[in-house]
Amino acid sequence: MDLLPTPGQMEIASLAADFFGNELPISVIRERRDAPVVVDRRVWSESAELGLFGLGIAEELGGAGCELAEETLLFREMGRRLVPGPYLPTVLGARVAALAGQHETASAILSGKATVGLALRRGPDGFEAATTPSTLDGRFQLLDAADSRYLLLLDPAGAALVETAALTDVRSEPAIDPGIRLAEARAEAVPIIAWVSTQEEPIRLRALVLTAAMSVGIAEATRDLSTEHAKVRVQFGRPIGVNQAIKHACADMAVRAEAALSQVLFAAICVQDGRADAEFQALAAKSVAGRFAVENASATIQVHGGMGYTFEHDSHLFLKRAHVLEHLLGEPADHLARLVAQPAAQ
Amino acid sequence: MDLDFSKEQVEFREQVRTWLEENAPREIRPEMGPAMREYDLGWQRTQWEGGWAGISWPQEYGGRGLSLLQQLIWFEEYGRAGLPGIDACFVGLSHAGPTLMTRSTEEQKAYHLPRILRGEVIWCQGFSEPDAGSDLAALRTRARIEGDELVVSGQKIWTSFATLADWQELLVRTDPEGSRHHGISWVICDMHTPGIEVRGIETIEGGAEFCEVFYDDVRIPLENVVGGLNNGWSVAMSTLSFERGTAFTANQVRLASTVEKLIDLAKERTGPDGRRPAIADDEIARRLATARAEVASLRAMTYAGISRNMHRDQPGPEGSMVKLFYSDIAKKVYRLAFDLLGADALRFVSRWEPGGWSGNYLYSYSVSIGGGTSEVQRNIIGDRVLGLPR
Repeated sequence: MDLLPTPGQMEIASLAADFFGNELPISVIRERRDAPVVVDRRVWSESAELGLFGLGIAEELGGAGCELAEETLLFREMGRRLVPGPYLPTVLGARVAALAGQHETASAILSGKATVGLALRRGPDGFEAATTPSTLDGRFQLLDAADSRYLLLLDPAGAALVETAALTDVRSEPAIDPGIRLAEARAEAVPIIAWVSTQEEPIRLRALVLTAAMSVGIAEATRDLSTEHAKVRVQFGRPIGVNQAIKHACADMAVRAEAALSQVLFAAICVQDGRADAEFQALAAKSVAGRFAVENASATIQVHGGMGYTFEHDSHLFLKRAHVLEHLLGEPADHLARLVAQPAAQ
Repeated sequence: MDLDFSKEQVEFREQVRTWLEENAPREIRPEMGPAMREYDLGWQRTQWEGGWAGISWPQEYGGRGLSLLQQLIWFEEYGRAGLPGIDACFVGLSHAGPTLMTRSTEEQKAYHLPRILRGEVIWCQGFSEPDAGSDLAALRTRARIEGDELVVSGQKIWTSFATLADWQELLVRTDPEGSRHHGISWVICDMHTPGIEVRGIETIEGGAEFCEVFYDDVRIPLENVVGGLNNGWSVAMSTLSFERGTAFTANQVRLASTVEKLIDLAKERTGPDGRRPAIADDEIARRLATARAEVASLRAMTYAGISRNMHRDQPGPEGSMVKLFYSDIAKKVYRLAFDLLGADALRFVSRWEPGGWSGNYLYSYSVSIGGGTSEVQRNIIGDRVLGLPR
């Protein structure tokens, strides 16, 4: 047992972190707040060349052959740096296409030619368990689908890919987070071009872990922002961090970040190893990390005072993304209901 | 990143589980007095005889000298077996013993360590005073030197098991001119020495292990000073660093099984609407699920801490994060239990009896105070983990 990432795993994460730091600094979100997509084509192609989309896909399916552990560390870095763009649905969409044997689709996604947006179902989850649905119907909220060729839908029964162009009544909407793009749309008998059932592979659990990993990154980054501010901001002749009101707020952020990180790493291994309590651990990770990211980000606004309330400062971007992540893949209350219904952890 | 235990470790777990099943006491632990002393010492003696005493102690001092992962396994199984904590033996095994190992003379080690391991003696702690709680360095209990003796006068407080203890790790001020952290000495005090008076302090849960200790010209041989005269602060600090290792794991496992018991209880008991089981109530179900998620992450945090400690010699200040998180969750969990019971919670059941939810609820108020308050833990995290200015 060793829960800590190996030096090799950390190296992958830090390579990706350097790339994001150079190509997608947080300021991009402000600069491109009115652009149709936040991540431009060039950066997207370079992400593909770096192999980010297929990191956790087997080599014989066109990926880099790493595991969920490495992907988890990658998405944690994305959370830390508030990386915009449809990385999560693209990584998972490539996986769905590859596992479903749709090799052309998979290679279009892996090479960066096609992006995948996320479709979140309005209303209750749709597919019967243990069936192979051929079409998609219903109303959907779309995330980062503006420029996407495909949409990924994660249902408890399985994961589906459809073509974005097949949806109707697409209407873009203003988003609380300037780093994402939102739209509403309708699907009527839209053909499903790739389907992977939960029995074949629990992609939804993977998605829960990766989403939680981004929340962890936010919890860590906001802890660091607040701590740094508490060290350098001087009031009454002393750094504000000497005051317990601020010091203890930072300490609580540290505990939340550490708890969320530990649980997400733990859950990643459980899902990767197919442990019996994988769903329990993934739900626990999503629940804890989602909530702690929001709590750390809101505390960060408070620690920064008036500056934290400005658009120019990064605090609100972390808070907004934390809220986006908390509502992805089912509501927090839904995750808790599923968690309490699970058998006890192993 | 892995959660795999080796074949040897899996076998070790089996061995621990079987031994605990066959040897752990089945009787309910007596709540107080000499019967409790006998119970705790008897259980320690059983562990000694079975070769399981001092599992984290080095072999040269008679311990098992287990690896960190074996310790983790031992404490997980210990907690899973539903056994009580090491309670009255705690200070000897986890505090005084490890301090003696690092700071005392060979004679002191040879005399005291085997007695602790064999379950022959109980140690208590004499650190806190009425005016020196979180601010331990403010302690005022004086010891003047007369020939080859220390003569101690003053008062200690919050001393668990002092009425039952044979020995005490005692902090006294030997140099009144020294600054706050200098002039303190760490002394081995025989609790049967004339001039010591122990009074019990009743706690909010009715417990009787808490005491205050008064010293009126208590004569202690000068050779009982450990780590050198006036060096007590550094000795005391080395004591505290032994407090937050793997030993905490058993508490967490106990807390996790408490959450599982509460989920079962919520399925059996009628909920607040008087009709459906409690678990059908959304608020109760969410609080139970949140407790599950948080207890899971507490365990993961412990695993992360142990993993970190496997790569270095000394545990870091992150232990304070585990302690703080644990205290916070434990209080929430027992509050949830209290709420689940509805008006039945008003009937007092001690935490030592089955169904002792009300006793445990009241006891949970101690977890964020004892062993360093949560506020002190936050200071430690702020100063030493985050590097914030003091």
